[in-house]
Amino acid sequence: MEILFLGGCALLLLACALPLVSLLFKLGKASHRIALFITLAGISCITTTALICFFTGADYQQLIYALTPELTFSIHLDKLAAFFVALIGFVAFCAVIYSFNYIEHGAIEKRKHVLTALLPLFILSMIMVVAADNMFALLFFWEIMSISSFFLVMYDREKAETQKAGIFYFVMTQLSTFFLFIAFLLVYRYTGTFDIEATDALPQAVKSFAFIALFIGFGTKAGLIPFHKWLPYAHSASPSNISALMSGVMLKIAIYGLCRFTFDVLQPELWWGFVLLVFGTVSAVLGVIYALKEHDLKKLLAYHSIENIGIIVVGLGLYVIFNHYGLQTPANLSLVGALFHTLNHAIFKSLLFMTAGSVVQATGTRNIEEMGGLVKKMPVTAVLFLIGSCAISALPPLNGFASEIMIFLSYLGAFELDNPVIEIVMVIGLAAFALMSALAATCFVKAFGIVFLAKPRSKEAGKAMEAPPGMLVGPAILALTCIVLGVFSFQIIKAVGYELPVPDMLPVSILLLLITAIFVGLLKLFRVPVRIGETWGCGIQKQTPAMEYTATGFSEPIVTIFKLIYRTKKTNEKEYFDPAKSITKHTKAKIATFQFFEERVYMPLANLFMKSAAFISEKHNKDLETFILYAFITVVLLLVAAGLWL
Amino acid sequence: MNWNMILYIVLNTAFVFLFAPLLISLIKKVKALCQGRHGTPLLQTYFQLFKLFKKEIIYSDNSSFIQRISPYLNIAFLLVASIFVPIVFIPAQESGFGNIILFLYLMVCARFFMALSGLDAGSTFGGMGSSREMTIASIIEPTTLMACAAIAFILKTTDIPQMFGTVLNGSILQYLPLLLVACSLFIILIVETARVPVDNPETHLELTMVHEAMILEQSGPKLALMELSYGIKQLILMALLINIIFPWGLATDATVSGILISVASFIVKAVILAVAIGVFESFFAKIRFFRLPDFFIIAFFLSFATILFELLS
Repeated sequence: MEILFLGGCALLLLACALPLVSLLFKLGKASHRIALFITLAGISCITTTALICFFTGADYQQLIYALTPELTFSIHLDKLAAFFVALIGFVAFCAVIYSFNYIEHGAIEKRKHVLTALLPLFILSMIMVVAADNMFALLFFWEIMSISSFFLVMYDREKAETQKAGIFYFVMTQLSTFFLFIAFLLVYRYTGTFDIEATDALPQAVKSFAFIALFIGFGTKAGLIPFHKWLPYAHSASPSNISALMSGVMLKIAIYGLCRFTFDVLQPELWWGFVLLVFGTVSAVLGVIYALKEHDLKKLLAYHSIENIGIIVVGLGLYVIFNHYGLQTPANLSLVGALFHTLNHAIFKSLLFMTAGSVVQATGTRNIEEMGGLVKKMPVTAVLFLIGSCAISALPPLNGFASEIMIFLSYLGAFELDNPVIEIVMVIGLAAFALMSALAATCFVKAFGIVFLAKPRSKEAGKAMEAPPGMLVGPAILALTCIVLGVFSFQIIKAVGYELPVPDMLPVSILLLLITAIFVGLLKLFRVPVRIGETWGCGIQKQTPAMEYTATGFSEPIVTIFKLIYRTKKTNEKEYFDPAKSITKHTKAKIATFQFFEERVYMPLANLFMKSAAFISEKHNKDLETFILYAFITVVLLLVAAGLWL
Repeated sequence: MNWNMILYIVLNTAFVFLFAPLLISLIKKVKALCQGRHGTPLLQTYFQLFKLFKKEIIYSDNSSFIQRISPYLNIAFLLVASIFVPIVFIPAQESGFGNIILFLYLMVCARFFMALSGLDAGSTFGGMGSSREMTIASIIEPTTLMACAAIAFILKTTDIPQMFGTVLNGSILQYLPLLLVACSLFIILIVETARVPVDNPETHLELTMVHEAMILEQSGPKLALMELSYGIKQLILMALLINIIFPWGLATDATVSGILISVASFIVKAVILAVAIGVFESFFAKIRFFRLPDFFIIAFFLSFATILFELLS
């Protein structure tokens, strides 16, 4: 096991070094391929180790390097860590397969080398965060993960939008590290060790404080609302294989952290459960509502990541509440549901990001209003995207439904509680959950329908070509997994060792296939004649793409109904030829949605910091006398303070 | 899977399949009579379906595989959903069939593909229909789940056959709050079957249309499958409502006499409900689209009130 895991890590480091070497010695494209192959081998080794640990229940512990006796790099794979490492490994494997063709698309040769080099480093750092045995190692790899992903986000650094994304991402990711630092130092202050398990020994009040710090730290990285704003920017600006990894995997690392610290080590209190439940529900509902108005394909998917992280956090919150009341069945349902959804979301979201990447590459735009008709140009990509859409919309019998039903059923477990107030809160949560899930389906009808169906809405979309094979194989593996994990969910949960009251999806799937086959067979048997005609359009001469329904039109009813949330501003400016205002010269109409979090929360905070920084820097820019005065004031203040306290 | 279950699946599906078109024409007949017309014969829907099955299929040249597969998927999802609602007899427990949330989501699946097929041909009508359908579906969904949660709460199970069994063994007097949920379920039934205050099943080219707009591009046998799945959806939602409050007559084991009594009593109850729907439709005018949330809130409130009532008693 040792050789397999460390060998895998070594291979990933080698894959990281190779493109950098070839950058120095000007080796050609072959080095990318070799580096990616080595990455695949490395990931396979590590994933195998994790799977062995997960299924045999073996604990794998290893000391890699001790800086001092206190500060050590050691790894520990227990069942929880092994689950997450296997998840990272599997998704990363498919993303690397996708990268073979995707990387070659870039324009600047140097950057391709850097991208190929940073990819294995990013994957390795994520694996090591999960595998880390102590807080010091965890934080170290956490920072490597943040920094390597920052450089990956900055791939197209000339674009103004990428620069904005980079700033948002860097500040937010450092903010999350800052809060983790606070939590870890707090633990160290009370226990004198960086061991994760030692956190247990904290006094209860400090535990709550540590929980808040950890929640903000991990919540920022996971993209929970209101700490989410970096997510849509960073996911849309980065290359698609990286967005797939960031959304599919990196957000899950934060979920791992939350699980490890709140449930495994600290004894959660009841109110923690409510914090998780409320933040989770708000993220889930607002995430999907923001996704609906989004017409940038990758931003739309990014908002759905916020939604799905919300679902996972709701599951964790329900676990805390039910566990507190000792209701074992709903507690297990919600915990297994949350973890299963973590896996499922990793799979279908990376599938969607990869296929979206192929679409963006083929059409050269991320705006879905300029797509359309791609189902005929890119049929395989379309089918793969459709499977992903069905999975994320929680349609049975796919995997997204398999995990969401667990959360639904655990919500219904609320009726076994004795506390009416909590029950009412849960019922409202359930309604919000149902709304979220229905809106997600609406959003993906829009996404698939506008991107792939009808006629191409722009010239570029009309000229799109099917993605190269590597960019189909990676997502295809994920799509197949979506189906398998959904249809056999009952059997898989049983095999992992949980007896849960969830419906068996296998007979339903068999019957679905059977009935479809019967009707297809019937129509074939009677040889129904088929004719290709035009779309019926009330007698129009020729149908053009301008007559099709647009994404804006599609989501308009939802935007109107939820106008309180969107705060839509409709402005209509007119200029006239004559003073009587009867003949119009120009008309300008604009519909803008208010960016609540950016305009009301983020920018005021950022401006506050900018102002205080400007104030301080102005004070620095003075002559010698002023500095002597500063020194004098400081000495006086220190003397006064010393006099008071000593 | 045992023989009891297989017999149940075959009989229940066959009954749903054969009986569904009759209810469509029955409601039309009731509405016609309310408006002082004679209306079409009761078997008209069967004739229409038969005629459609003999016609050719026309696809738009813009359309893709979505338009071709969605009628099959629609009817498959709804027929599988119909297995979840026992009409001929309550089968012995079997994992996989009966969970109320899975039942709801099977119907969501059917709707998902129908909405996609509306966008497929690139026609403005289809797009408008899908957009509106998905909007209505999104805002009714919390209500639907709330109603289901209320039923699950009162009857202490999430399994539909068990729910029917519980009410059958007890009396409705034990479960009075169910009557409130029934009102809520009735509104959901009206919404889901695209009936008058929400949508108008009789218009094809009005701006009011939602459901009819999405299937505008379907033709021949494919249109017949769409019409049939609409009928099936209506029938199973009616069956859910009927058997939750008045399950009497429903057999608990597979005997010939039991099945006959179940079917006969169900037909009587379904006819009464269909007449009620027809009359209800005739009394209402279509509500403006953006006023619909207000209508749904009534149903939401009724379900929520049921839960509160049950919690505090």
